[in-house]
Amino acid sequence: MKITHSIYTFAFLGAAFGLSSCGASGEDPGYEFAPQMYNSIAYEPLSQIVNEDEGAWLSSREDGKGEFFNSNINNPNRMNMREPVANTVPRSKDGSLPYRLKQFELEAAAVNVNPVALTPQVLAEGKVLYTQYCSTCHGQGGEGDGKAGEVIGGVANLKGGAYINLPEGHIFHVVMKGKGRMGAHGSQIPQERIWKIVHYVKQEIQKQ
Amino acid sequence: MSINRSLLSVPLRFSILMMLIFQLSGTQVYAVNPDVPNSEEAIAAGKTVFNANCRTCHRLDSKNVGPALRGVTDRHSIEWNKKFIRNSQALIASGDAEAVAIAAQFNNLVMPAHEFLSDTDLLNLLSYIEYGDKVDPAAAAAAVDGASAGTSAGSGIPSEYLTIILGVLVVVLLLILIVLGLIISILTKYLGNQKLDAVDEEFINQKFDFKKLLKSDGFVIIITTIVIAFTVKTALDEILTIGVQQGYGPKQPIAFSHQLHAGQYEVECQYCHTGVEIGKSANIPSANICMNCHTHIQNVGGKEGISPEIAKIYAAVDNNQPIEWVRIHNLPDLSYFNHAQHVAVGGIECQTCHGPIQEMEVVYQHSSLTMGWCIDCHRQTDINSKGNEYYDKLVQLHSNSKEALKVKDIGGLECAKCHY
Repeated sequence: MKITHSIYTFAFLGAAFGLSSCGASGEDPGYEFAPQMYNSIAYEPLSQIVNEDEGAWLSSREDGKGEFFNSNINNPNRMNMREPVANTVPRSKDGSLPYRLKQFELEAAAVNVNPVALTPQVLAEGKVLYTQYCSTCHGQGGEGDGKAGEVIGGVANLKGGAYINLPEGHIFHVVMKGKGRMGAHGSQIPQERIWKIVHYVKQEIQKQ
Repeated sequence: MSINRSLLSVPLRFSILMMLIFQLSGTQVYAVNPDVPNSEEAIAAGKTVFNANCRTCHRLDSKNVGPALRGVTDRHSIEWNKKFIRNSQALIASGDAEAVAIAAQFNNLVMPAHEFLSDTDLLNLLSYIEYGDKVDPAAAAAAVDGASAGTSAGSGIPSEYLTIILGVLVVVLLLILIVLGLIISILTKYLGNQKLDAVDEEFINQKFDFKKLLKSDGFVIIITTIVIAFTVKTALDEILTIGVQQGYGPKQPIAFSHQLHAGQYEVECQYCHTGVEIGKSANIPSANICMNCHTHIQNVGGKEGISPEIAKIYAAVDNNQPIEWVRIHNLPDLSYFNHAQHVAVGGIECQTCHGPIQEMEVVYQHSSLTMGWCIDCHRQTDINSKGNEYYDKLVQLHSNSKEALKVKDIGGLECAKCHY
């Protein structure tokens, strides 16, 4: 009688303490109820599992790997993401083609005209985009006094005489491909959005 | 004789003293070209030109992106300076030896042309460069000392006071305990010597029976209830945290600090997480985005050399290797979530779900990301229909209702919105 009593007690306490390590904290992501429903079978670019034995204990796979392993073994570095095939052209909403000018072809770029029509809404969007992508270095007012810009050094004062009269195509090209100490931002900002930033810079920051 | 000597020695000693002062203060001794105007108006006008066109690359007394400028009229002629400022590239291309040497010293970094500056502008600029904003090193050092002394004081006093008060309280309580103990023992001794009746005798000589208390029914019931209640509560709490990764903050391959980037340097979230307004995922930036700044910033806190953490970015770029960041927000595959819908359409701040990211040295999962958490927000949040034609008819249909149009009213609680 006494023995069964204490067995119950210990089982109860054991279950409680066993459960106490299920939650996540710090380095430990914790446990899941139904891991098969949590992990993607399809190749996911941002949550790929690189460990081949992950989920081996419930694996039903024919290749003998763990159930949750979902990295593409045929890609470089086993990444699920791949760069597009060379010379392919992405389709875009407005039918615009990729920007083909090289970084040094600044003079050819300067003649390009802004394809985005100037409306108050575009200007407002341009302001938001300018704040997100430019103000860190060029400052909210464009005077080259952003907080990161102070550390990098050599940030253009967009209101300075050397920059204030630059054509829109020039500004677009510099954002896209970089110039001097500024890096290329073409991979970060879609073309249409860069043209919106150009509108904002020309209409508001460089207003004369 | 003695008069002669003293007369001679006065200017001599004075010049030595001046030399000493110059050397002590660290100021370089150079001869400013006398043609540079030294009037207050010229210096003030030159400062305006400098701030608008030169400030981001040049300092007066220290090397920045470009060389330190003070003394430039001593090193080169005024005409040469004007030509270089107006169009340095043309001067270098013409083969001017001085210009080519400077360009080589600065890795042929291109200085933009300033053809728009007039002769007067340039002279004013040169007078500001030579005479403006001279820094007295002793005063600067004193200011720095003063500032650091000022910041060290201030905080910390209240918590110290609290500790002292607590300590005093504990000591007082201990003293009271000791005094009480002494009183009891004295009284017991005194009563032991007196003649007392049986009841009092028993009361004084009673012993605390621990075993009897342990075996009493009341005690067992109380303890058992407490233990069972505690265990059940712990078990239930823990069952509810299975699959909830709130607080998960793993070590990342590069010790990237959001506190430094998003907090101190105010880099907007979208600068790196470029997908957040146009796609399902916010995206982890690729190394080329890091390199926009880190081509130039190679260490933290203005230290020399390359920081070991930043060196990891360079290694990844050089070897074309991905950086294997550890994913923190693991939304189960059974539910769909789209950042663009929430951030671009809904206009929700990043911090609403991700917490004070700009203060996190190591990022952790701030919200629970449970279904209850999602639903709760969908029940309370108003639709952001301003300037969005998509919602026009819904807003019209809803206009008779007393309550505002919430996310739940347009299908925010439908199962298939997220689970399909």
